[in-house]
Amino acid sequence: MRNFRTATLGATMLALLLGACTSGGSGSSASTAASEPPASTAPSVESSAEASAGPSIASTLVLGGPPECPERPFCLVGLEKTYGLKFKEFTPLDAGGPLTVQALTGGQIQVGLLFTSDPAIAVNGFVLLQDDKQLQLADNLIPVVRKEVAVANPLVADTLNAVMAKLSQAELTELNKAVTIDLTPTADAAKAWLTKVAIPATGGGSGSLTVGSTNFYEQEILGEIFAQALEANGFTVERKFQLGNREIVFPALESGEIDILAEYAATALEFVNGGAGQASTDPAATSAAFVTALEPKGLVALEYAEATDQNGFVVTKATADQYGLVTIGDLAKPAS
Amino acid sequence: MELIGEVAAWFGDPTNWAGTPGIPNRMFEHVWLSGLAVLVGTAVALPLGLAIGHTGRGAFLAVTVANLGRALPSYSLLLIFFTFFGIGFATAFPALLALTIPPILTSTHIGVKEVDRDMVEAGRGMGMTEVQLLRRVELPMALPVIIAGIRTAAVQVVATATLAALVGGGGLGRFIVDGFALQRDDRLVGGAILVAALALATERLFTVLERRLISAGLRAVVATKPLSVGPFAKSGSPIAP
Repeated sequence: MRNFRTATLGATMLALLLGACTSGGSGSSASTAASEPPASTAPSVESSAEASAGPSIASTLVLGGPPECPERPFCLVGLEKTYGLKFKEFTPLDAGGPLTVQALTGGQIQVGLLFTSDPAIAVNGFVLLQDDKQLQLADNLIPVVRKEVAVANPLVADTLNAVMAKLSQAELTELNKAVTIDLTPTADAAKAWLTKVAIPATGGGSGSLTVGSTNFYEQEILGEIFAQALEANGFTVERKFQLGNREIVFPALESGEIDILAEYAATALEFVNGGAGQASTDPAATSAAFVTALEPKGLVALEYAEATDQNGFVVTKATADQYGLVTIGDLAKPAS
Repeated sequence: MELIGEVAAWFGDPTNWAGTPGIPNRMFEHVWLSGLAVLVGTAVALPLGLAIGHTGRGAFLAVTVANLGRALPSYSLLLIFFTFFGIGFATAFPALLALTIPPILTSTHIGVKEVDRDMVEAGRGMGMTEVQLLRRVELPMALPVIIAGIRTAAVQVVATATLAALVGGGGLGRFIVDGFALQRDDRLVGGAILVAALALATERLFTVLERRLISAGLRAVVATKPLSVGPFAKSGSPIAP
């Protein structure tokens, strides 16, 4: 019995050791072999489309993102199909978290997947590459208001639209940084921003409104900005922040418990329509569909902001300068 | 039960054996990371343990370091080192190194300390220098216990190196972490099987090593009367007659 056990274990060990040893050699050669052909073949495929010669910038860079990225349409699959990009390698990290940030600053990866309004972008001076071929669903910030309120007080929509018109991507990221990294109280950060962008306070509003928010800090910051902008115009505003998730906040809107909410066009549309797949990469079309979907609920969506919170590919300032990168499409250009 | 088929299919898929994310390369990364940690750990803890065991000085230090090292969870070490060293190998390596030192230091120090003092005195009577005593008497006699300590360290390291994937490192843990992220059970279980098999293989490797390295004279003693010294004597496998 013991002999048998020894023999089986010994055989297992030998097999594994042999596997491990041979893999030592073949593993490294296999990895170079695997990274070599895409580097030489991929650009030739791109060059026919982009009329460029030599290996692309992407083929010299390592992409980092969540482990599921290689199989997701809004990540590596989309980068390959929509942009024709082949990276040198993919490093599995986390979903827009500290690993990706560290890997970018440490130089282990050159392109990382973060959320477009991640405060880490502002903290580390990363460059968010523009999604010039519109790979990502349009998760632009958009105010949702109870129709009753919007009709009764046109000034509400005017005020919120004026705010959204000023909300650029960089402004939103800076606001997130101020609150989550610099620990500025939300009310102070909102006040400072409103002063800075100088939303005209027309006055003339009256009556009381309730601004709500989910537990997400970004939506709460936006809620506070809405509240202060409305107060500046003469409304009395009650704040009901950190109510929970969409499953709680939307019924609260419908029942009139809250009147105003900052939302994300694509994600909120798919929440309201039960995942019907109407959201697209076009913010105008997505928000129009959102307005239609909100109609039976007695709600209305106002104008969307330039600022989004969606998948974003970022590079360090140094990488952006070295290759002259502004858009994701720039990664397909020849490396030299 | 269909999971067994899925896992078998995963192992059979040639794409899982190619390139950086393939099984051979991940196995290599795992063995390389673990092997280096055990090697460096031995290089640090073995001389220290020998010195402490031989002179009897610094035993308190050895025990403290060992207890401290064992109390520290590897996962928290990983996360602490992560803030200093960033992702991957640079973080995983020191965390694993910290895991290897306590068992090797303890087993070496106790193994040497527990060598029959009459033997040491006999050697001294024969005019052996302290270094000769250590090399020719104490080290050979303590070797079963020392190797058992290194084996404990190695098996622990192979098992724990799986966590390297959590800080963006390679190794077999990639299959488990990625399997969770993708909700792919074949990859997850396949990775778990590979880690378990590698740990068993490591265990066996040290059994063979032990059989080879222990002096012939001692082998007879061990065979008739297993050494009952030190905390690791129990895990020392029976030496085949």
